[in-house]
Amino acid sequence: MNTDDLIAQLARDVPPVRRHAVGWRLAMGLALGALVSVAYVVLAMGVRRDLGIAMHGFAFWMKWAYTISLAVAALIVTAQLARPDSGRLRWLWVVAIPVALLAAVGGFELMRTPQTSWFAMWLGDSWQVCPWRVLALAMPIFVGLLWSFRRLAPTRLRAAGAAAGLAAGAFAATAYCLHCPEVSAIFVLTWYSLGILLAASVGALLGPRLLRW
Amino acid sequence: MRADETALRDLMIGGLDGNAADHAALLRQLVPLLRGFYRRRARGGEDDIEDLVQETLIAVHTRRATYDRDRAFTAWLFAIARYKMVDHFRRVRRLQPIDGLEAVLVAEGFEDAADARMDVEDLLETLPAKQARMIRATRIDGLSVAEAAAADGIGESDVKVSVHRGLKALMARIQGGGR
Repeated sequence: MNTDDLIAQLARDVPPVRRHAVGWRLAMGLALGALVSVAYVVLAMGVRRDLGIAMHGFAFWMKWAYTISLAVAALIVTAQLARPDSGRLRWLWVVAIPVALLAAVGGFELMRTPQTSWFAMWLGDSWQVCPWRVLALAMPIFVGLLWSFRRLAPTRLRAAGAAAGLAAGAFAATAYCLHCPEVSAIFVLTWYSLGILLAASVGALLGPRLLRW
Repeated sequence: MRADETALRDLMIGGLDGNAADHAALLRQLVPLLRGFYRRRARGGEDDIEDLVQETLIAVHTRRATYDRDRAFTAWLFAIARYKMVDHFRRVRRLQPIDGLEAVLVAEGFEDAADARMDVEDLLETLPAKQARMIRATRIDGLSVAEAAAADGIGESDVKVSVHRGLKALMARIQGGGR
């Protein structure tokens, strides 16, 4: 096609764009995916019976503070990588803060627990399934973010995929908190984080293939 | 030699606000800019260049929401243009991509410095003979890695390594000298 014709055709469709269009687009994909994941937790896995009581306790909010802050930090990085001129990544170090804080809580926890029960506390009742469930719940959210990226312009595809995977994993872990009755900080630090990292790895693996435009 | 950043940016923002005339004017002004950009960087026929220009115009149009009004327009534009060029060559495979090389080559500042100071032959003189020969063969004469390897009687990975090391050395020299 002639370049002038192409321009004429493109200029026929010029809807206004909102200022924070990238953020909105990501939020929409995220919300669509999260809806599926939360519905799966509520309908298929079941909400933990003592949720009402747990919400008055420390452990529940510690878990949510960890997963939610991680999710927000990952989303900020994802939004930076969604633009072609992402340049140097700022705020990447923010991701380390929740991890460090939870590790500190875990340290206190270990000090207050007799050594003989450390192992049981670390493995909890569900260490074998927890990472896989987080990974599985991350997939709808990751797909939602992939949809968001169809209108965005990442130029570092592997990094963008990893960031999207990390965000998906952290939001998935947030949803999984509704079901999971584990209370130990070192459990969460290990097995939740492992699931989230698995999701980020899947993102890094698939990014170059799925995010091309 | 850059087209006027302010004027382009104003047109872009006009387009983002829904002004179709601004958007059309912007796209028209980008055409010569992009042709120049690709001619200087891509060794392709005019058809290839025009394909790249059109692909980039379409990308500028469909991904315009990713432009941040508080940042430089040309930086955004050329980031897209570079991505499209790398993607194009990866698809066409006219150049054998060496892992990570494109990323190194498009690193900020290299192109500008290179455009200003590049006197290819002089620079190649400063490299070890094999590296210079391999760069000349694969990057200037347009041989594939396999052809260059056969012509010189060495392995393909040897060619890649020589080209990679040579380019890296050149880049260090240009950037170092430009500061």
